[in-house]
Amino acid sequence: MTIAFHPDISTLMAWSAGTLDEPFAVVVSTHMAMCEACRETARRTDLIGGALLKAETAEPMSDGALERLLEAADDERIDLPEPRGSDSVDPSVPQPLARYLPDGLDAVKWKFSGPGVATCELPTGTNANGRLMLLRVGAGKRVPEHGHGGQELTLILRGAYGDRFGRFAAGDLADHDEDVEHQPIAEPGEDCICLVAVDARLNFRSRVIRTLQPLFGF
Amino acid sequence: MYALSMSDERQKPGPSGQTEADPAALLDRVARDRDKAALAELFAIFAPRIKSMMMKLGADAALAEDLAQETLLSVWRKAHLYVAGRGAVATWIFTIARNLRIDQLRRQSNKPYVDLESIEIESDARGAPSLLEESEIVDRVSRAIETLSPEQREVVRLSFVHELPHAEIAVRVGIPLGTVKSRLRLAYDRLRPMLEDLH
Ligand SMILES: [Zn+2]
Repeated sequence: MTIAFHPDISTLMAWSAGTLDEPFAVVVSTHMAMCEACRETARRTDLIGGALLKAETAEPMSDGALERLLEAADDERIDLPEPRGSDSVDPSVPQPLARYLPDGLDAVKWKFSGPGVATCELPTGTNANGRLMLLRVGAGKRVPEHGHGGQELTLILRGAYGDRFGRFAAGDLADHDEDVEHQPIAEPGEDCICLVAVDARLNFRSRVIRTLQPLFGF
Repeated sequence: MYALSMSDERQKPGPSGQTEADPAALLDRVARDRDKAALAELFAIFAPRIKSMMMKLGADAALAEDLAQETLLSVWRKAHLYVAGRGAVATWIFTIARNLRIDQLRRQSNKPYVDLESIEIESDARGAPSLLEESEIVDRVSRAIETLSPEQREVVRLSFVHELPHAEIAVRVGIPLGTVKSRLRLAYDRLRPMLEDLH
């Protein structure tokens, strides 16, 4: 798979630091499952966390903490490697996404969101600020021009679309800041299915969000 | 049974690091021999540091200590899954603590944080192992971080140690979100050549 578009390095650093909101972390992890280059980069950004932990000052543990740990370690349970193979019935769904989509892409219950456009929201934990959703754009159809009220990550799972940034095909990830406006058009021949994380802390009064509202059902 | 001979030296983050045993060797003893003395030494090195990191991101002392304990217990249970030569043990332990912290936050979600290790197991594609020693890796990354400008180091620390999202770093430092990201990009550009062959 040739991947042309990757998360911004600051996004990968946040992934390593563990500070991405759940929907964004899922999109980045799913991209990484498809992208060796980003796994390589994440190996480097993880190192930053290790070095900073090693350099951290020591906050003494309370009395008896070590004894309690060793007692707990008497329980000989060990963790087995994660079972191989996707958790999803759909082999084209990478493992980080499979937990959110166990029945695969073909079983998705789509919700009409405008001409040629359908969405499906995927449930996340209650602490998530943003929203995780699938977006399907019919072959040859366009997504209404929109800006973003916050960060938006879009990973192409199937098909392809084009906008002023180029051609985005399976595995490509569009990492857009709030000031970006674009108008993706799906290529003819196949519906384009994307995994999208959007920031929910949106300014509902802005003109831009009013255009997005019907699309994502805010 | 286990050696409780950790000197005070080990409880402190000595810049020398000379008195600490090699974490890779300790982890290997845990994995192969289920050696509790080795676990106790890993505890002495890492638990107080994890506790400190957790307190910086707002956990109270009790929760920070629980997370440190949980991390070391995971080390005990996962030691055999650590692949030698794949980055420093400190990095591996950092990711375990990070995942536990996130899963704690997400406790109403049944989906654990996915780390690089599980992604790689799935895609069956591992990078080449590093031939460097644990201490050399950690020293080189630490030195690389020292070369950052104070502004860059600040955002890197707020991100990795205080584990603040970028938007909160922007508020804390009083700079626009875009500036947080550009400082992180500049920091990575600076670190990258020094991290190149380390993993
Ligand atoms: Zn990538």
